Amino acid sequence: MIRNLKEVKDNNFDITRSAEEVRNLSFNDHVCLGCGICESTCPVEAITLNAIAVDARHRISNDVYFSGHEKIAQNFKEDFDVQRISIDESKCVLCGMCSGLCPVDALVLTIDGTPIKEIEAYPHYNAFSDIDDDECIYCKRCEIACPRDAIVIERVLPDRADLVTGEIQVDDDECIYCGVCQELCPAEAIVVDQETGKESIVIDKDACVYCLVCKKACPTNAIKAVCRSCSYGEYDLDPAKAVVKGNSVIDSELCVFCGWCEGVCPTDAAKHKKPFEGSIEIDDEKCQACGACVDICGCNALAFPVSSGPGSRMEHVIANNDYCVKCKACAKACPNGAITVKRTEIDHTPISSTTWKEALDAIKD
Amino acid sequence: MPKHIASGLKYLAAVKLKDAGKSHQEIADELDVDRSTISHYLNGRNLSWNSIDVARTIIELCPPDFLKMAEAIFDEPEQSRKIVNICRERDFEVIIEDSCIGCGLCVNACTMRAIKLESLKAHADSIQCCGCELCSDDCPTNSIKILEIEYD
Repeated sequence: MIRNLKEVKDNNFDITRSAEEVRNLSFNDHVCLGCGICESTCPVEAITLNAIAVDARHRISNDVYFSGHEKIAQNFKEDFDVQRISIDESKCVLCGMCSGLCPVDALVLTIDGTPIKEIEAYPHYNAFSDIDDDECIYCKRCEIACPRDAIVIERVLPDRADLVTGEIQVDDDECIYCGVCQELCPAEAIVVDQETGKESIVIDKDACVYCLVCKKACPTNAIKAVCRSCSYGEYDLDPAKAVVKGNSVIDSELCVFCGWCEGVCPTDAAKHKKPFEGSIEIDDEKCQACGACVDICGCNALAFPVSSGPGSRMEHVIANNDYCVKCKACAKACPNGAITVKRTEIDHTPISSTTWKEALDAIKD
Repeated sequence: MPKHIASGLKYLAAVKLKDAGKSHQEIADELDVDRSTISHYLNGRNLSWNSIDVARTIIELCPPDFLKMAEAIFDEPEQSRKIVNICRERDFEVIIEDSCIGCGLCVNACTMRAIKLESLKAHADSIQCCGCELCSDDCPTNSIKILEIEYD
């Protein structure tokens, strides 16, 4: 029998079988949601989901102590850093079921270098996220909201000189180099040297916004300045030059299709579709507000309500169904069984294999 | 010595092919031996009966042992595959059940190259099967059944 080779680097690993075709399964720890679908799906029971609740707490709150977290904190160790899952390479047959059912790209099986995502015979989730550059105004709201830091918005701002123009000059005979203008200037465009014998004043015209504060405050009326738009209106300012340009990139490896980008987008630029649909419910009676679910959630779909005042206690966590991808990592992490996640719909490409179909049906409620 | 046994196996293969109605030239091409050697074989010349006896014993071994012996003697997968396929005295039917997960271990295990993956399921060409069951030994889901065909 052909043996599997395992190569471990940090918390990631590769399992390879080289025969007539080369099969390689790679695990990317930083992408893993900790949902455990792979563990329950593996037909040869080679996968174990590790104690990620503890790990997530460690990663997030290295120096922070939350009160009321004894259940987690008792297991907390300074050097706790494990792979979110383990795979026994002697059991793994590299069938790729874990990879095919992984809702993110944490487990990727490649056959002769091609990921099964790109092989038609394998099922794929119909999920996507996209930012339409035609609609995007590069406000960066999605970049900030993205729970996985998967979005990068690069924007090119218009030239300030194209938005505001004017004229400004200092009458050297009148100027007493008092420095009032420098202290007042909101754009920090004026530098005054007050040293006796070396007096000078310099105005940076690229920085000046022609607000005229310096002119109004000058005790000797040494500054002559006009704002172009105040004097002549904005008719000759070219609106095309005032446009913010840029581009947006979604890291497809990190994206979990949670929909935060679409949720916060002020235009219709961000769009997404989740692989699973369903519901998430918190049993308020059972929730002890330990926060394990908040730490583990890859979608920022769980949060504690904002405190209503000093001394008020957070009673229980609240879930936002809109941004939940129904991965169930929280339900697995919850020490009190307070979270019920239901996966009622799974959107995937058609598949002819009976076992694969059964495996996909098995993760549905 | 292995060389002699190899000749013995080739002789037996040549006889089988002749029984199947092939010409000397066709047999020579099939076994990658020159035509005059085949003619010698088939006219009962030049081989020691000892080698043929050993070869016959090998063919009668259980299928995985026959396969392993052939691989050891020929040391060339294409050649041993051919000899096993011609000389084996039993036929098999391979059934791959729906529990197959498409892991491809059987494809790797099958020396006869009788198994291919298609749409995440293994498909076997029973005509190529030598009955060694190496594939079903490796199958993680026990999805391969190999049945021997009985003729009467």
